[in-house]
Amino acid sequence: LYYELSTEIFITYYRSFMFMNVCVSLLSICGTLHSVDQYLNIKLTDISVTDPEKYPHMLSVKNCFIRGSVVRYVQLPADEVDTQLLQDAARKEAMQQKQ
Amino acid sequence: MVLLKNLHPPTEGVRHEQAETTAVLDGQRLGCGTLYVAETRLSWFDSSGLGFSLEYPSIGLHAISRDVSAYPQEHLYVMVNGKLNKENEAEMAEKAADDDDDGSSDGGDDDEDEGAITEIRFVPSDKAALESMFSAMCECQALHPDPEDDDSDNDFEGEEYDVEEAEAEHGHADIPTFYTCDEGLSALTQEGQATLERLEGMLAESVAQQYHMAGVRTEETKAEFEDGMEVDTAAMEAGQFEDADVEHW
Repeated sequence: LYYELSTEIFITYYRSFMFMNVCVSLLSICGTLHSVDQYLNIKLTDISVTDPEKYPHMLSVKNCFIRGSVVRYVQLPADEVDTQLLQDAARKEAMQQKQ
Repeated sequence: MVLLKNLHPPTEGVRHEQAETTAVLDGQRLGCGTLYVAETRLSWFDSSGLGFSLEYPSIGLHAISRDVSAYPQEHLYVMVNGKLNKENEAEMAEKAADDDDDGSSDGGDDDEDEGAITEIRFVPSDKAALESMFSAMCECQALHPDPEDDDSDNDFEGEEYDVEEAEAEHGHADIPTFYTCDEGLSALTQEGQATLERLEGMLAESVAQQYHMAGVRTEETKAEFEDGMEVDTAAMEAGQFEDADVEHW
């Protein structure tokens, strides 16, 4: 089950997204969200790579900058996120856009 | 991305220049040279003038690597989308002028779909420069966003939203609730804000449904938002509950 969030909602509620798993092509990087900009460029700290055997070079990296355009998707831990809130925000936004 | 030989280093918009920097491309040492973090592109050249350039949109990720047990030297790690094939360099130099199809033998798009990447390491002799190299790349990346698509929203200013900074400001680190960042709300257009208020008014009138209105500030529900807790506006309206605790539903 997944939800698609607009940039606006993501940036509005970003502060509640502390831990995330960012998927970039075949690489999945887990870390703490440090900051995000309007292009959804993401800075993560304390990162770990989901498949370290494939990408051993990333093991030595603690913090990274990920270009927003290469992010396939971002996984947020379900129990740490208020999905009801995000659903409502998305619904509101959809209503707004219909105007 | 463009791979060229005998190209001149950039002279304008160079955010950071780092001499005595070794470039390692997919594990292959290219030698010692100078890294140029310029606003237009990232490039590296050795003393003979041989080198390569990278377009920022092709750089998926960059980071500082400090764990010497994983790699013997501290360096700037750069992940590039697609494959940079060194053997094709001569071809690319000729082709680049005519068309910018791809920077690899198979075609950039195909490689991207397959998830092929190139890993490049820039190892400066001066390790203290790594932070500046990293920051300069972050800044330049922000200068090269992808072209807008339909649902991208550029109502926000081009600032970075620093999670730690924001938490320190608002001091809500231990409360696992949501609140809207002021920048986010104020970045709504006039029309957007008016629409938002109107919709909230509509929602407040509805008794049948209950909504979380956490973090969204309106005049009616101002009192409940001191600490950004979730509020049931319908209950407020109907006067059914003393306080709007989530647990009551």
